[in-house]
Amino acid sequence: MSETKGKIVQRRVFMYHIFSSFAAHAYLFEEWKRKKRKGWSEAEQLPLSTFSLYIYHFLSLSVSPVNQLRVFHILQRADAAMVSDSIPNASIASSNLRDFAKKKRANRSAKLKQCKLDARREQWLSHVKNKGDYKGEANGGVIASIGASVHLENRTRQPIGELEIKTRSEEGIFGDGSSLHHYSDSDSVQSNSPTSLTSSVLGSNDSGANFTGSSSSRSSSSANGSCSGNMSEEDEGDAGGDDCLDDWEAVADALAATDDKQKDSPSSENHEHSTESGSQVDASDQMISEINIPRIHTASANSESGRTDNRRALINCCAWRPDDAFRPQTLPNLAKQYSFPLKSERHLDGGSVWVCKSVAMIPKACPICFEDLDYTDSSFCPCACGFRLCLFCHKRILEEDARCPGCRKKYEVEPIDGEATLDGGSITYRLARSCSMVARS
Amino acid sequence: MATGTNTHHQDSNPNTPAAAAAPPKQAVPTAKTVDTQSVLKRLQSELMALMMGGDSGISAFPEEDNIFCWKGTISGSKDTVFEGTDYKLSLSFPSEYPFKAPKVKFETSCFHPNVDIYGNICLDILQDKWSSAYDVRTILLSIQSLLGEPNISSPLNTQAAALWSNQEEYRKMVEKLYKPVA
Repeated sequence: MSETKGKIVQRRVFMYHIFSSFAAHAYLFEEWKRKKRKGWSEAEQLPLSTFSLYIYHFLSLSVSPVNQLRVFHILQRADAAMVSDSIPNASIASSNLRDFAKKKRANRSAKLKQCKLDARREQWLSHVKNKGDYKGEANGGVIASIGASVHLENRTRQPIGELEIKTRSEEGIFGDGSSLHHYSDSDSVQSNSPTSLTSSVLGSNDSGANFTGSSSSRSSSSANGSCSGNMSEEDEGDAGGDDCLDDWEAVADALAATDDKQKDSPSSENHEHSTESGSQVDASDQMISEINIPRIHTASANSESGRTDNRRALINCCAWRPDDAFRPQTLPNLAKQYSFPLKSERHLDGGSVWVCKSVAMIPKACPICFEDLDYTDSSFCPCACGFRLCLFCHKRILEEDARCPGCRKKYEVEPIDGEATLDGGSITYRLARSCSMVARS
Repeated sequence: MATGTNTHHQDSNPNTPAAAAAPPKQAVPTAKTVDTQSVLKRLQSELMALMMGGDSGISAFPEEDNIFCWKGTISGSKDTVFEGTDYKLSLSFPSEYPFKAPKVKFETSCFHPNVDIYGNICLDILQDKWSSAYDVRTILLSIQSLLGEPNISSPLNTQAAALWSNQEEYRKMVEKLYKPVA
């Protein structure tokens, strides 16, 4: 499963860099269709929100490219969140999942659920909050933030007349998309469907009735209610998925680092709007208010957090941790740059030209038996001369004369022992990665 | 919930005996065949590398039906007394091949301080200095360079060793004794 996910992630990165955002979205849409055809268990959950986002963004394509980029980042994040969420689900049999959902619905009283939902939301938000101010804007739930950010962008960048039409059509369709989503997972928590229903109605009502900027903000944040409720629902029972989300957010942040300045002021603006709309919705619908209230709390808490900048800077510098399993392997490795000089030096010490050559195009295969080196083998460096071989051949040689084929020195019994070999050990690790790079290119 | 777990068990149960049965089957034949298999793979890879490498002055190819016996040729390097001569060699690989050196002999008689009249070669890397990292290509290149730079201190052919200091005479001897490769 992780492999599939890795592929998906890789492909998306690729798409993102090569094609325009439009092409990327067309791709996302195609991917959704493909998954649906395959009948993946998670396809029900993942693509519909993607789909709604797709439509949503499709309509916003007339916005300036910078804003498109932002929207796309958020969409990526939302998508990553969905993907990560679907991973643990897939491991369970789908029937089990359904049973679980049914049972959940039967057993819990609405109030208890609400409490739990709120608590979980608090957790999730506080987690996301730390990611920085760019995400601070997106705090209401990843999907919801699209409504907010696009709306803000519209407000700041577009003539008012255009804005009105746009927001109205967007809201209408977005409402449809979200309600469709909720109906399709009828097994999931019951609070979602009524919420989304009312929200979509509300959304269309608001945008239909009023033609001012503030009204559209209301409609967008009422949509927020349903979506963020949905997000917290998906968030449950899934702690590992956050990592993936982190990564995507880090990537998005790194890419959108230049946009941050512009973002800062709108984000505070957004909080005001959401608060306002929260109270407004509170009067009209209890369910939505219950969902909205914790969000507003965290939003205000978020606006005070200046310390998040440090954290974000930290994340920005490494989109993927080096040990991250989901890091696309095609990404270049910085370690490569300084590992090679080190290497050739070592080889000149070894004294034989051919060894130098055989290691320069580093062992994809064991130089002794020509079998492919697996990960363990390629991170195995038994001799300080840097000559690598597979564990089988090494064992065989140990049984006979126990000399390194590369330098003819006796193998030390404990390869990682003194400081020299310790040094060699760290080099080994770097080389293992750069090796794979070389082999691929 | 109950049906869900049941199907799960049914799914997993048939798998376990099959998985348990598989390993012993594989384990039985491995012991002896793995060795020759790995030698075969190594020799095939070497052959491939040799043919793709395009080293001038050396070549080698297995004999008709036995990949453990190869015939190689070496051309005398430029600016040595062996310039313009080709020598045929035979290489026979032991079943422990990469860990044990192959036996290499000159098929063509070669007037050289470190090659005896039977074609045996005195070269350290073919004896105690052998390393499993050497391959046919490096052996042939080593022998090629040995032609131009003999080790006079431990000669097999004392006459050649004595004559080595006089390169002109030596060249004449080489030409006189040289029998071109058929």
